[in-house]
Amino acid sequence: MSDDSVPLALPLLRLAAGSLEVTTLYRELRKPLLRYLVCLGLSSDEAQDVVQDAFLSLQRHLASDGTQENIRGWLFRVAHNQARNRQTSYHRRFIEPLDGEMDFLADDATPEQRVLEKEKFRRLAAAIRLLTGSERECLLLRAGGLRYREIGEVLGMAVSTVGDTVERAIKKLAEKCNV
Amino acid sequence: MCDVQAKLIAWLDRELSSDQAADLDRHIKVCQECRSRLETYQQVSETFDVYCDAVMAAKKRRRVPRWVPVLASAVVAAAVMFLAFPQRPVEPQPVLTPTVAATSVPVPTPHHAAEPAPRKTIHRRRAVPPVQERAVKWQATETAVQIAIPAEAMFPPGAMPKGMNFIAELSIAPDGSVKQVRLRQ
Repeated sequence: MSDDSVPLALPLLRLAAGSLEVTTLYRELRKPLLRYLVCLGLSSDEAQDVVQDAFLSLQRHLASDGTQENIRGWLFRVAHNQARNRQTSYHRRFIEPLDGEMDFLADDATPEQRVLEKEKFRRLAAAIRLLTGSERECLLLRAGGLRYREIGEVLGMAVSTVGDTVERAIKKLAEKCNV
Repeated sequence: MCDVQAKLIAWLDRELSSDQAADLDRHIKVCQECRSRLETYQQVSETFDVYCDAVMAAKKRRRVPRWVPVLASAVVAAAVMFLAFPQRPVEPQPVLTPTVAATSVPVPTPHHAAEPAPRKTIHRRRAVPPVQERAVKWQATETAVQIAIPAEAMFPPGAMPKGMNFIAELSIAPDGSVKQVRLRQ
């Protein structure tokens, strides 16, 4: 074996270890990321593309010895920025009415339950329409399981600002929805 | 209103420090109003979560972009309009050709480029609207005007020998000079 093959093995080993980590993260975070992007207003296909690109970026980031702190926040931030580049008016699409698309309700739901659920979502959609862009994004990231510190990193906000924004948004929804 | 209500959502999200969380735990146990508010905030959060799932499920089903049916409708409407109101065939534009002031004789004209003929000497056979006139372009040729003159019109009576007759054909160039003179019987 020549000496030339030795330095090749080290990055490959590191890449393999990084790939394992990325694969684990992919299984864990793919669905929350997809849901966040779709709720931002991207189509299902666009969201898939963005998630794929985000994980490729993560692979390169780890392979180049990038920081491994708060990988979840890092991934959401990359995906969030890519989504912004693709869609400048995605907020509008998130609050499109879901009329006629309530198939996600359980099959054993009674007609009365369906009507009540539909009315609840109609009120919620109307309330979401009243939120600001940052309030929506904070709530979406919170629904994705991110902590306030991670949300702040994704959106470029202070942690205290995130707390205030989330509180304001939840109170607005509670007031308008009467759930 | 309790002083701790501003911290309820942060408590729900486990974002408070351990000391603050312990204080709030004790308060919630004794405060019915805060418990009620917490329940409301919890329900709103869960409903929002389910709503996000619903949006995602709806987007997965909606694979066809919304503009596709709109575009299809526009195409169908255009097809119906085309079939209902077929376009009339376009009438050919009248071709203007230079004519002679006197008797004209058809002479094949060469089609190579030349300066445009002076418009003063041209008489049109048909009246054409001015707008159409600008659209019509006829090719200028080297011969601007051709004139055929009978011999009796050129000479006084009796000057021509009996039994002899001819016609003089003159081709006049755009600059006014006589380009060609041809006699034919």
